[in-house]
Amino acid sequence: MDAQVPRDGKLPPLWHYGHEGHDEISTKTLGFWLYMISDSLIFGGLFAAYGVLDQPMSFAGGPGPAQIMHPVAAFGQTLAVLTSVLAYSLGTLAMKTNNKAGVLLGIVGAMVLAVIFLGLEFNDFAVLYAHGATLQRSGFLAAFFILIATHGLHMMFGLLWMAVMLVQVGRYGLSKEIVMRLLNLRLFWQFQASVWVCVYIYVYLRGTFS
Amino acid sequence: MLVDLQGPWSPLFGRLTLASIPYSNPIIIFAFVFTALAGLAVVVPVLYYRKVGYIFREWLTSVDHKKIGVMYIILGLVMMFRGFVDGMMIRTQQVMADGPHSPGVMEAQHGYLPPSHFDQIYSSHGTLMILFAVTPILTGLGNIIVPLQIGARDMAFPTMNAISLWLTAVGAMLIMASLFIGDFSDAGWVGLTPLTELPYSPSVGVDYWMWAIQISSIGTTLNAINIITTIVGMRAPGMRWDRLPIFTWTTLSTNIIGLTAFPILGVALALLGADRYLGTHFYTAGLGGNLMLYTDLFWIWGHPEVYFLVLPSFGILSEVIATFSEKPLFGYITMVAATFAIAGISWAVWLHHFFTMGAGPWVNTFFSVATMLVGIPTGVKVFNWMFTMYRGRITYTTPMLWSVAALILLLVGGLTGVMLANPAIDYTVHNSVFVIAHFHCMVLLIAFTIFAAVIYWYPKVFGYKLDERNGTWFFATFTAGTAITFTAMFGLGFMGETRRLDYLYDPSWQPLLIVEELGIFVYVLSCYFFCRMFYVSIRDRNLNRCGADPWGTSRTLEWMTHSPVPFYNFAVTPHVNARDELAFRRSVGADETPPDHYEAIHMPKNTMIPVLIGVLAFGFGFGMVWRIWWMAGLSLLGIIALVIFRSFVHDHGYLLSGEDIARMEGKASQMSIMSETQDEMAMAEGVH
Amino acid sequence: MVNIKFLARLAALSPLLLLGACSGNDGFRLFHPVGPVASAEFHYTLISTGVMMLIIVPTTVLTCVFAYRYRKSANASYDPSWSHSLPLELLMWGVPLLIVVALAYFTYQSVFLVNPAGPESLNETPGMAMGSDPLQVDVVTTDWQWLFIYPGQKIATIDDLVVPAGRTVQFRLTSATVTNDFYIPQVAPMIDVMPGMRTLDAFRVDHTGTYEGFSADFSGAGFSWMQFATRIVSPDDFAKWVAQTQTAPSHLDYAGFQKLAQPTINEDAKPAYFSDVDPKLWDEVYTGVQQGAVYPVPKETQTKAPEAKMPNARPGSTS
Repeated sequence: MDAQVPRDGKLPPLWHYGHEGHDEISTKTLGFWLYMISDSLIFGGLFAAYGVLDQPMSFAGGPGPAQIMHPVAAFGQTLAVLTSVLAYSLGTLAMKTNNKAGVLLGIVGAMVLAVIFLGLEFNDFAVLYAHGATLQRSGFLAAFFILIATHGLHMMFGLLWMAVMLVQVGRYGLSKEIVMRLLNLRLFWQFQASVWVCVYIYVYLRGTFS
Repeated sequence: MLVDLQGPWSPLFGRLTLASIPYSNPIIIFAFVFTALAGLAVVVPVLYYRKVGYIFREWLTSVDHKKIGVMYIILGLVMMFRGFVDGMMIRTQQVMADGPHSPGVMEAQHGYLPPSHFDQIYSSHGTLMILFAVTPILTGLGNIIVPLQIGARDMAFPTMNAISLWLTAVGAMLIMASLFIGDFSDAGWVGLTPLTELPYSPSVGVDYWMWAIQISSIGTTLNAINIITTIVGMRAPGMRWDRLPIFTWTTLSTNIIGLTAFPILGVALALLGADRYLGTHFYTAGLGGNLMLYTDLFWIWGHPEVYFLVLPSFGILSEVIATFSEKPLFGYITMVAATFAIAGISWAVWLHHFFTMGAGPWVNTFFSVATMLVGIPTGVKVFNWMFTMYRGRITYTTPMLWSVAALILLLVGGLTGVMLANPAIDYTVHNSVFVIAHFHCMVLLIAFTIFAAVIYWYPKVFGYKLDERNGTWFFATFTAGTAITFTAMFGLGFMGETRRLDYLYDPSWQPLLIVEELGIFVYVLSCYFFCRMFYVSIRDRNLNRCGADPWGTSRTLEWMTHSPVPFYNFAVTPHVNARDELAFRRSVGADETPPDHYEAIHMPKNTMIPVLIGVLAFGFGFGMVWRIWWMAGLSLLGIIALVIFRSFVHDHGYLLSGEDIARMEGKASQMSIMSETQDEMAMAEGVH
Repeated sequence: MVNIKFLARLAALSPLLLLGACSGNDGFRLFHPVGPVASAEFHYTLISTGVMMLIIVPTTVLTCVFAYRYRKSANASYDPSWSHSLPLELLMWGVPLLIVVALAYFTYQSVFLVNPAGPESLNETPGMAMGSDPLQVDVVTTDWQWLFIYPGQKIATIDDLVVPAGRTVQFRLTSATVTNDFYIPQVAPMIDVMPGMRTLDAFRVDHTGTYEGFSADFSGAGFSWMQFATRIVSPDDFAKWVAQTQTAPSHLDYAGFQKLAQPTINEDAKPAYFSDVDPKLWDEVYTGVQQGAVYPVPKETQTKAPEAKMPNARPGSTS
């Protein structure tokens, strides 16, 4: 036991009154960071699977990375997702001046750019499918599609979350709870952009120059 | 459909047809009757005593971490019983089916179980015991005890806590459903590819296994987020990191493992799901798949998973041994360091599960050395427990008996584990029953500590102790069964018997198989004592009501609340001054000092959302298993809608006034976790 | 109150059940290795266990002693303030570390000696791996039989591995369906057999004898019947057997193999023999699987006893 009874014989404090001292926003945000750790491990597993299946044996006589990567179009996607994060972040800056309209504008901007991102992605997939590079063609293509699609799925859930926040900001204004959710969403959105950058480098750039 | 399904499929019912129900299998019929009777034994009294509303209000919609923990433990114990029955059936089949002239009854060539049925039984034995018995019980214990040990009122996310519980329960319900509608996976709890691919497992069994695990893994990951946030952010004032109780430390490191490892399992199974549902080639042998990818991903989760199970057990051992030796835990700081060393190294050892896959001598040597390194912090823990007992004053209550027996098992399991860590030895015993005996030593030590923990903390939650006499008989029979069965199994491993055999070709194994079966009979006897222990304790509960510190020598914060713990935990948050706070207060004579006044506290409200999410999750799982796309899709949309709906609800709690608390503290001895919360509050006001 | 020491003694005595291991033909196969590779495995089993016992035995004894000596009723010395000791901590971390270093050294040595792809324990002369003139055997597993192809002799067998004594046997293994595990207790180091992949194994046995081999990795409903006999015969007998098998009436080519590989349970492990076998058969199976060949198991096998629905299509047999 490390406690000392003070010299004057008085007991140390036994009970604590008043506010418990743990800040609700930072507690809930910690929880969200932990969720993102688990999410980053999902992507880690998918990157590992892609790395394993990015071998000539897994092309099964079908197209390899050099044949299916379109780095320029993917760069367009990169620009879209990064500007989407920028738009959203500018929106959260408006929270500092309690500018509800600014926040809404930022969210809408982010959503539009995210839709552009997803549109470019669907288009890319459609082109690949037209050339016979389907999900079922080989192990390599399966890994490619599922990795990109998992990221796309996260973007779609982010879009849904943004739509809900539009409604909630509109109805309830910038209360403590709403601010906390907007900050967590920003965290999520930045994370998705970071994952995309990793995808771009590890999948598209590496694949183009393989 | 993107894949080649054997059998019919319709848009309305998916693959489900009347033929999916095995009404011609007498064993299943018997299981159904038994389960139905057990279910009725619960449902009929609830209806008769008009307790449906009570169950709904107080338990199903509860967000109280203690009630959620109790429900986790009940789920785990029930599934442990079913897993035990599976184990009994395995042993009986093997003892009957030894040798080419062994008899066969019913539809079996040898023994009483045809191969496919036997394979499903050991697959469900493994899956249930690891993921639906031991995991929920340990999660439940953490749920109940950790907030109390750190002086918090509840977990950081009470509603999410309930959702985790119901998702785990849904996984267990899917496995129960597989018993009566369709079949279960026959590819083992590991589910190696390409055996689990559609051509080699064409029925819905693997799909049941896959979705049960996926859904409950989400619950486990959410629970990890919850507990870590609680430990980091909600400790009572003065609870510094070097004062954290050891069980909380082990729970923290366990859940860091859970948070980071379970997503990998999710990926491994999701890619298998893609193969089975979308026709991809992740793990097939042909068209560019790589079956080793599954093995690697699975075991990268699989090895941290076993530490996920064993670290809380080590925490329990630390708490129980310290309490019943009347000494502080020896080497607290190195215990914490060893815990995190084990958790960290556990990420670097996964290949030892498949040394025989041909990775080559250099790779095998690396993983072998890493595996042996894990033995060092584990050994440190054993020594620290020994030195905690040294010059202590040991009282052999049943928790202490279980703990010392667990130590012995750990030594045997550790010895055989280090033997297996050498690839040269592993090349002779991989997939033999020697390995099975090794890991059963480890999981049984976990079971021993679970029993120790349940008996140790039971009085804190329910307000009366469990019967020591029947508890001791339970301990003696269970331990004897363990010793008999698994010593024989080590022997059979050296005789060359491999695992997962429903027919054994070598009659010379018969004597040891019979010994194993005797061990099972002793286990069955232990079930009787287990039930009797609970029956006698509950029958005599009002004669054995206990105070805050029923064992008399407890050391940590949770023993400072009343027994049973009121639904608000501490009336006033304690200020922590020492490691082993209660022992410190006892040493300065302050262990009975109450707070001088009470202030209002904010309590979370019960909610239906978690139970509804659970029901929809079952719909999703069942729909996906049978490829009933409309059921799966609507359930998933429903879950998303519920979450969004919940985010619009503002007021999640209510205020408990200082006066109410003061009155309830006065009547603490008459309260119970089983009573209605509003009855307790009314009683406190003198209105009854 | 149950006497813990009594229980500990009882548990400690239970290994006496294994005393049967001391005699020769007692079924404890792993204690009777044959051949240099298996002997090396057993040698290191003993070393590893012995080194571990240096820690485990004293720890077990001390645990039992402390558990008994410091119980409350014994009134031994009680020191509740003693909960830390730096010298003890250094010992606790240091001694196991030394043990692990020793074991790591032995592991490193042993892994190369028993490496399935090229066990160094088979080196007859320094610099010459695998002995002179090894016998090449190609192994294919199906659901649920073992096919042994001798490409040099153009023969093949089902569930019967015949090899000459004193000569190294080298294996190439693949599966046509799912993963199995090539296991001959006492004789060969275990190696996985995987579809679309090639693994290697090798052993040499210097005395004649018959041993049981089977699959150690679960592969489906017929798994329990995947036994094969392993007969080590004298070189003369081997030559005679090869000559005789080369006159077997059945032949085997890839098309024949595809029929053979349909789900079959060989319940009595009845062997079958083929002559005029295509030496490239193993390669054809290997590439065929990589190109997508599968041999699906009928769904009914997962609910009914095996003999109900299994086609037992084997093109004849002789002995």
